[in-house]
Amino acid sequence: MFHIKPIISTLLRSKSGPLLLLAQIILSVAIVANASFIINERLALMSRDSGVAEDEVFDINIYNFGAGIDYGLQNSLDMQIIRDIPGVKAATSTSMTPLSGGGWSSTLTYGPSEESHKSAPQAAMYYGDEQMMEAMGVKLIEGRNFYPEEVQVGHPDSATKVILSKAFATHVFGEQSPIGQTLYAGGWGEQALEVIGVVEKLQGAWVNSSHLDNAMILNVELGLWPFTKFLVRADAGAMTELKPLITAALHQENKDRVIDGFRMISEHRQRVYQSHELMASVLSMMVILLLMITSLGLTGMVMFNIERRTKQIGTRRALGAKKRDIVSFFLVENYLIALVGGVIGGLLAVQLGQQLMSLYDLPKLALVYPVVTVAGLFVLTTIAVVFPARKAAKISPAIATRTV
Amino acid sequence: MFIYYLDLAWRSIKNTPLLSLLMVLAISIGIGITITTLNIYQMASVNPAGERSSVLYEVRLWSQEADSWDEMNPQITYQDGFNLRQSDIPTRQTPMFMTGMAIQTEDPKQAPLLESARVSDSDFFALFSIPFIYGGPWDKAIDKEPGYQVVIRADLNQELFGGQNSVGKVLYLNQKPYKVAGVIDDWKPSPKYYDVNNGAFNDSERLYVPYSLAPIEEYQSWGNNQSWKNESIVTYQDKLASETHWNQYWVELNTPEQKQAYEQWLEGYIAQQQLLGRFASDSPYADISDVSEWLVINKVVPEDSKVLVGLSALFLIVCLVNMLGLLLAKFLKRAPEVGVRRAIGASRTQIFMQHMVEVGVVGFWGGLIGLIWAAVSLSVLSSRFGLEESLTQLDMSMWIIAPTVAITSALVAGLYPAWQICIANPSSHLKSQ
Repeated sequence: MFHIKPIISTLLRSKSGPLLLLAQIILSVAIVANASFIINERLALMSRDSGVAEDEVFDINIYNFGAGIDYGLQNSLDMQIIRDIPGVKAATSTSMTPLSGGGWSSTLTYGPSEESHKSAPQAAMYYGDEQMMEAMGVKLIEGRNFYPEEVQVGHPDSATKVILSKAFATHVFGEQSPIGQTLYAGGWGEQALEVIGVVEKLQGAWVNSSHLDNAMILNVELGLWPFTKFLVRADAGAMTELKPLITAALHQENKDRVIDGFRMISEHRQRVYQSHELMASVLSMMVILLLMITSLGLTGMVMFNIERRTKQIGTRRALGAKKRDIVSFFLVENYLIALVGGVIGGLLAVQLGQQLMSLYDLPKLALVYPVVTVAGLFVLTTIAVVFPARKAAKISPAIATRTV
Repeated sequence: MFIYYLDLAWRSIKNTPLLSLLMVLAISIGIGITITTLNIYQMASVNPAGERSSVLYEVRLWSQEADSWDEMNPQITYQDGFNLRQSDIPTRQTPMFMTGMAIQTEDPKQAPLLESARVSDSDFFALFSIPFIYGGPWDKAIDKEPGYQVVIRADLNQELFGGQNSVGKVLYLNQKPYKVAGVIDDWKPSPKYYDVNNGAFNDSERLYVPYSLAPIEEYQSWGNNQSWKNESIVTYQDKLASETHWNQYWVELNTPEQKQAYEQWLEGYIAQQQLLGRFASDSPYADISDVSEWLVINKVVPEDSKVLVGLSALFLIVCLVNMLGLLLAKFLKRAPEVGVRRAIGASRTQIFMQHMVEVGVVGFWGGLIGLIWAAVSLSVLSSRFGLEESLTQLDMSMWIIAPTVAITSALVAGLYPAWQICIANPSSHLKSQ
C-alpha cells in the first residue's frame, strides 16, 4: 500500500542524492548517540549528592608564619574566636574540605585477628571535633556523635573514635551494625579506632574516585603544621558579611598569618566538576549544531529531489494521484533512507562506543542511546520532508504536459 | 584564467545567496568546532621543553617493598633526592619539591603574601633554560652549605619591588630574611612539565629557594605525598627519613653514553641502598624518561580532549557530506548554463576548474568564519569554565590550519559534483531549455 517497490526503483536510478543523505544520517546517528551518552553520564556524575549543606558551609585556610607558635594551642584559640562570632552556627577544624579535590585518605584494616585481617576500601579522613557533623550538615542515622571530652588535640595518631559514612560502613561491615566495631589505622592492631556512629551520606574530595562515598570523621583537632583549615556553617549567603569579621578577629589575635579560602562548598563543587561540565557543554553544543545541520541538509536534499522530479510529479498527478499520495511518496522514500541509515548508524554508534571504551576511560554505550537517536531521527525526517513534499503536491498536473 | 574563475564563482555565489550562505555556514561550523577542540588538544600536547626535550630526564625509583604499590610512583623520597645529588655523571641535576610561604618585604605596609615556592638546587635554572632579567641563580656552594638566598619571577618582582633591579635586596620568607640572588623572566611552561603532580596546567612558581635549606627551615610539602609504608611521622626529620614520595628529580644527559653511564650508576645506587635494607622487593629498578615520554606517562593530555577531537572530526565530515549534497544540487541546477559554455567551446577541464575554484572560495570563507567561531567559543570556554588561559589561546598555527583544512575538505567535497557537471552531455541540457 505504501508503493515501496516503485520508490526503491527510483532510488536505485539516481543513487548519488540518496547515498549522500544516507551517509549523513549514518554519521549523525553515530555521533549523536555517543555524544548524548557521554553528556548524560557526566550529568549523572555531577548530580550526585555530597551529603553536605553545600550552600551553608565554607572553608577558611590559615597559614601561621610566626616563629615559635604552638599550633595546637593556636588552633583551639582560633576555633573559639570563630565560634564566638555572631552568625556562625557551627565551626570545626578540619583536615580537608569536601569536594575540594585535595585532602586525606587512607585504607584502614579490620578483622578479628592478624591472620584474618582485611583492608577496607580507600576512604576520606576528616579530622575534627564534636561540631564537625553540624558544621557540615551531615545527618547521623545510627550511634552517637563525639563527646567534647573525647576530642584529642594534636597529631592524627591520637584518634580513637570514628564516625563512618553509611556507604563506607556497608562496604566494610555489610548489613550488620558497625557500632562498637574496631578499625585499625595502619596495620592490624596498630591504632584502634572504635566506630561510634554512622552518617547517612558524606563524600570525600575526589569526585573521579570510585571511593567518593567512603568517608569517616575522626576525633582529632589537628594542630601540628602552620597550615590549618576550618569548616564554618552559617546561613546561606552570610559568608560575605562574615568574611571581614572573621579575618579581623583572627588577625587581632595574631597578626603573623595569612588568612584566605572563604569558599563555599557549592563553589568547590563547581570547580571540581568543571571538566565534566565543560565536556557536557561542548558535546551538547555539538549535538545541537549537528541536528541543525543535518535537518537543513535533509530539507535541502528533499527540495532538490522534488525540483528534479517536477515533471514526474506532474505526470503522476495527471494520471490520478492525489496530493496525499505525493506527500506519502516522499515521506516513505525518506523513511526508507532513514531506516537504512538508522540501522547502519546504530551499528556504527555501538562500534564507535566500543572503540572509545577500549581507548579511553569511558563506560560502555547503553543501547538505549542509538535507539532513541534513531527514533528522534524519524521525527526530524518527518519535519524536514513534510513541508517541501506538501509544496510538491501542489504542482499542477499541467506542468507535466508543458515541456517535453 | 584563475581570476576569471574567481569572478565567475563570485557571480554564482551572488546568484544563490541563501544556498551559498548555507554552505559557508555548514563548513564554518564544522571548522569552528574542529579548530576549538584541536586547539585545546594541541595546546595540551605541546612539548614546552623544545629542543632540550631529549636531554632532560625525570628519575623514578621502584623503592617500594613487595605487595605494596604495583606501579612506579611519579615522585621519589627525600632521602633518594638527597642521595642522587652525589652522582657526577649528569651535566646538570636537581631534586625539587613544592612548598609555600608568607612573603614580607622591609616595607611594613605591605600585607603578607602567601606564595607557593619551589625548593631546588641552583642547577634548576640552567637545566630548564630559564632566562634571567637581573642577577642569576644562587651560588653553587649554597647547594652544599645552606644560605638564605632566593630567586623570584618578574611578576613577583613587579609586585614587591616595582620591577626594578632587586638583586641584593632582602625578602622575608616566614619572617626569615633572604637575599634576592636573581630575577627570572615570566617563565611559565605549559604544561608545567617539571612537576605535573598538582595539575599539569597550573602556573609555575614565582619563588625559588635552595634545597639545602629544607632540613633547617622545614619547608612543608605543598604537593602530593604518597607512601606505601605505615610510618609514624611526627617531626620534619621523620618525614625526611620516611619512605614518603614527595620529591622530583631531573637530570641533564647530553649523550647516549652519558645516559647509559647514569643508568648504571642508578643500578649501583639501588644495590647500595639494598644493603641498607631499603628497596626490598624482588626487582627494584630505576627508570629515566625524557620530557616527551614523561608527558605521556603522566597522561598530560586529558582523554576528554582526545575524544572531543575525534568526535569533532566526524562532525566536520558530516558538514562536508552536507555540503557535497548542496553542491550537487546547485551545480546540476546550473547544467543548462554549463551546456551553453560547453557548446561554445569550453573544455571539460575548464568547466571542472571553474567549479573547483568556486568550491575553494566557499571553503576559504568557511575557514575564515570558522576561525571566528573558534575564537569566540574558546573565549567563552575560558570565561565560563575557567579553562587555563594557556589552553584557550588561539594558537598561531590555527590561522594556517583552519583555512587549509577548510579549503582542502571543501575541494574534496566538491570533486564529485564538479566531475558530475563536467561529464554531463551538453546537448541534453541545451535541449531541455
